[in-house]
Amino acid sequence: MTDGEFKIIFTGPMGAGKTTAITALSDQECVSTDVVNTDLEQCDKELTTAALDYGHIDIPGASGVRLYGTPGQERFRFMWPILANNAAGVIVLLNGQHPDLDEHLSTFVDAFWEGGSMPMVIGVGRLSDDDFFTVDAITEALVERNINPPVLSVDVRRKDDVLLLVEALLCQIEVNELGLAEA
Amino acid sequence: MKAGSVISKTAISMAEKQLKIFSDSTKGVTSAVLLSSDGFEVAALQVDKKSASRLAAMGSSLAAISSAIAKEAGISECSRLIVESDEGVVAVMKIPNLEPPMALAVVANDASLLGQLLWGAKTCCEELSKKLGNQS
Repeated sequence: MTDGEFKIIFTGPMGAGKTTAITALSDQECVSTDVVNTDLEQCDKELTTAALDYGHIDIPGASGVRLYGTPGQERFRFMWPILANNAAGVIVLLNGQHPDLDEHLSTFVDAFWEGGSMPMVIGVGRLSDDDFFTVDAITEALVERNINPPVLSVDVRRKDDVLLLVEALLCQIEVNELGLAEA
Repeated sequence: MKAGSVISKTAISMAEKQLKIFSDSTKGVTSAVLLSSDGFEVAALQVDKKSASRLAAMGSSLAAISSAIAKEAGISECSRLIVESDEGVVAVMKIPNLEPPMALAVVANDASLLGQLLWGAKTCCEELSKKLGNQS
């Protein structure tokens, strides 16, 4: 990684919108490892990521942000630490309407939190306009576990929403680095 | 599909027989898994369920990365991937003309001869394509 470049990870369960988010943000054509999805029971969509997504945000004259997406299914879990190696932070995307939302939250926070050393932001998608409960419920569930990453409602199809997640994560990374410098 | 749920038991049994023929006629093959492109095992040879699942998932990721690299390099579609070590070989090959797409992952030890292994695996893929293609 060149100086001033961040590598950040988009993770979360199948169908949470990781590939969509990276595609919405990337200034370059994304590298995709989409394959035909045969597990329509778990998620009714045509394609799924089998290895990784990759995109890049160019920041002229300064640095850039490398965007890596993980596969969401447990069977591809071996890819998660490979992709998380040397990452500056993680964005966990969740489907707010999924019946297994709590389980998904635990799985991905546990896999990437690294005892608090990994800056993290949670993005919750597919919430209805009048859902004022889910984001608070997730925040409370995390607080109960002494974990306090920002939790934001997002529409991953909207570039501004995804950018907000990235900006929140960059703030977390900065805070983390300041904390490490002061320690 | 979710692995074998759409493929008939007859087709799976036929695939297992084909893997056995390949293994019996090719030196050094220690295990083989027929997998869907999204990482489910469809048929397996000489490997327990857990290992077959892991090999299927990893084979699918490797095949997907190989395709992405081939596309990036402008060399069309990747048909075969070979991982070599001092102690053996892992090869992942796409099965031609199948819907949903599938691949064959083969593990061989150091008794194997690479050329023979790849030839045998290619023949096995062609047979699987013919037989499973007729089933769908």
